[in-house]
Amino acid sequence: MADDKDVLRDVWFGRIPTCFTLNQDETTEREAEPYYLLLPRVSYLTLVTDKVKKHFLKVMKPEDVGEMWFEYEGTPLKWHYPIGVLFDLHASNTVLPWTITVHFKNFPDRDLLHCPSNSVIEAHFMSSIKEADALKHKSQVINDMQKKDHKQLWMGLQNDKFDQFWAMNRKLMEYSTEDGGFRYIPFRIYQTMSDRPFIQKLFRPVSPEGNAHTLSDLLKEMYPAAIPNEGEQKRYQVVIHGIEPLLETPLQWLSEHLSHPDNFLHICIIPTPSD
Amino acid sequence: MTDSEERGGAGSAETWKRHIVRQLQNRDRNQHTKFQDLIRFYTQLLEKTSLAKGILSCSTRHTPSDNGSSISALLHQNNQLRKTTGELAYKVVEMQQQIKIKESFLDEQHARLLEEECRLAVALHAHQELQERVDRVKVENRALKLEYDTLLEQQRQEERRLREENDRGVHLVEDMIHLKQQAAVRMNSRNERRSRARAMNLTTARSKVAIDSSSSAPTSRSTSPKSEDQDDCSDRRHTRLFRSASVTSPRFLSSIKQLFDRKRRGRSVCSLEEDLMCPVGVCVSARVPARALQVLEAHEQGINAVKFSTSSDLLATGGTDRVIKLWEVRAGSLTHKGTLDGSTEGITCIEFDPTGLRVLAASYDKSALLWRRDDPIPKLTLTGHSRKVTAARFSGSLHQVVTGSADRTIRLWDLHRAACVQLLRVTSYCSDLVCSENCIVSGHYDCKIRVWDARAASCVQELPAQGKVTSLDISADHRQLLSCCRDDCLQLVDLRRWSNDRMCFRADGFKCGSDSTKAVISPDGCFLAAGSADGAVYIWNVSTGNLESHLPDKHSSSISAVSWSLSGEYVVSVDKSKWAVLWSDI
Repeated sequence: MADDKDVLRDVWFGRIPTCFTLNQDETTEREAEPYYLLLPRVSYLTLVTDKVKKHFLKVMKPEDVGEMWFEYEGTPLKWHYPIGVLFDLHASNTVLPWTITVHFKNFPDRDLLHCPSNSVIEAHFMSSIKEADALKHKSQVINDMQKKDHKQLWMGLQNDKFDQFWAMNRKLMEYSTEDGGFRYIPFRIYQTMSDRPFIQKLFRPVSPEGNAHTLSDLLKEMYPAAIPNEGEQKRYQVVIHGIEPLLETPLQWLSEHLSHPDNFLHICIIPTPSD
Repeated sequence: MTDSEERGGAGSAETWKRHIVRQLQNRDRNQHTKFQDLIRFYTQLLEKTSLAKGILSCSTRHTPSDNGSSISALLHQNNQLRKTTGELAYKVVEMQQQIKIKESFLDEQHARLLEEECRLAVALHAHQELQERVDRVKVENRALKLEYDTLLEQQRQEERRLREENDRGVHLVEDMIHLKQQAAVRMNSRNERRSRARAMNLTTARSKVAIDSSSSAPTSRSTSPKSEDQDDCSDRRHTRLFRSASVTSPRFLSSIKQLFDRKRRGRSVCSLEEDLMCPVGVCVSARVPARALQVLEAHEQGINAVKFSTSSDLLATGGTDRVIKLWEVRAGSLTHKGTLDGSTEGITCIEFDPTGLRVLAASYDKSALLWRRDDPIPKLTLTGHSRKVTAARFSGSLHQVVTGSADRTIRLWDLHRAACVQLLRVTSYCSDLVCSENCIVSGHYDCKIRVWDARAASCVQELPAQGKVTSLDISADHRQLLSCCRDDCLQLVDLRRWSNDRMCFRADGFKCGSDSTKAVISPDGCFLAAGSADGAVYIWNVSTGNLESHLPDKHSSSISAVSWSLSGEYVVSVDKSKWAVLWSDI
């Protein structure tokens, strides 16, 4: 149990060192210094980049400032994915720190959602939680919660309060022993090279025979290519929170401990670096 | 969570979890820890540079673009800078002063802190002492608690025992009540039987009388007892003449008995006529008993008193078992004839009235009781004494009774009124008394025999004795007084002379058994009889003063009383262990 709690803490306090640089095309009064920040993996870009914005606004004329957006090596970064997912998906095998380019104009409406205020992030976050609970408990737990309980979840994430968040999130992770797990595991599988944003299907944590499903079982069904055939070189890495769990890890446990605060297990499948 | 726990139980299953933990730690080391400080320092640096830039931009703003007036401007600037230096210096001085003040304040604080520490140390010391005391008290309390617990346990046991005892007491009381009820039922049935028998006797007697009156003229007197009285009296006087002649003919005696029998039919227990008819006793020569005719277990407990009736054919015994038993003496044996009950304690003394129809007894229950011979229920109960009554005697007249008690009083009672008419206070326990015509003689524990005038209620004489007086007896002619004392000596005093010359009777082996041992004078006044503590009856000859006879071996315990029949034929002795022995010379 002590281990489990430590895992939860490590997941929550995971950080990515990031270097924000201003896009060359932006018109500035003087040269902008890069801004370095440790980004929380479980949070959202627009929620933690107030300082970045402030920093760059110093060197810009107010009339040149549009909505801020981020881009990494030509890829616009979707703020509504958790930061850890963005990093694992696009930059997991690059040299740290992660260099993100900051834009204030030419907002890519086709790729990104607008994020005018934190309430949008909150709405997105809460809807994710509700979706996850619909999968796990037919929404029973989340519907039994009061408004202030929902608020507590959001405030926990916003203010980076681990205990405050988990005091409430614990309830969302409960399940009856006779079921042996959640109804369905809320998961999303991301790939770099795909048209689809992610894979999300119904998948039970326990097989009809009563065996607990593992990560391997999930991948076999959702993404067989991720599992190396015998004697073959490993082609893909399965990354969750910047690590590669063993394939025999039980899926239920993963869902309980390695899910993001939005209660989804975000799994990134990236090609093994060739070198 | 539970699943994971279960899986965690198996060593192999732990591998994936350990793997995850290790990987997370690696990740944090690479991505977080390495950059943490770097980024912090960078941010600080960035802030500083931007600050510096701000200041720089401020100062550069003053820099004039125009070079011409640069020197004056520089000078001006120099001045300004000096001024600011001065101001800053002043500020420094001020600051230093403030520092001094703060330091002194700090010193003060330190001093106070030290002081407080001292006090704290003292307080700690006190606290420690108190703690020690608390510990001590706790230990004591524990000991007390232990003691208290044991006491409590004891108390519980005692209470249980008490409850058991109470239960047993209740059971005993119930048993006793049950027994009492049975006794009452028995008594009732006995009474009923007796009254029925009496009624039967009465009817047969009446019919007999009727037959008598119808058949023979001379016996017609019996139908009218009142008219017969005169004749009776004349007869009585007549017989008295004979008595003085000491006639022993049984025929003569039986004629007297017949007279008595007839009289008994009258049924008037206490009347003037009876007083007139009172027999003074039949003086015949007493015969010294030689052997035991009968030994019987007369009572259920020790026997205290025994008395022959005046007609010698009836014997009464009374004892600790609270009843008086009447025995018929016929042909040398005792036959139980009846029981008189009603006393609630043991009987101490028995007396027949001169007619032989009534029985008077003194009792431990502080009263004296009077029965009619044929009625087991007491006719009168004389209460008033505050301790046991030791003696009860008829005085000269038939309606007066004298009682002596352990409460140091002698009371005179009127039977007509059933009330105490006179109270004589003595300084000592009265153990026995006898009545002569007009005087009462009482024996006391203070070794005195007191003679009282019954009419004046005053002590007329005190005679010394050698020990506690246990009993008194007066001879039939009222001339000799016998006293028995605890010094194992019988004394005989001549009442006529009231002199100090007295005869002492002793014997080897004779020992007065108790404080109430009764000795008697034979009806002819020639012998004395007393029972000893060793169970033997001793008989002395008055004229010689020597021991006449010694009758041992029949009693196994101390003899409490003896009685000599008026006919002189029999002696009965009773002892403390419920045995009675009938002695005679035959």
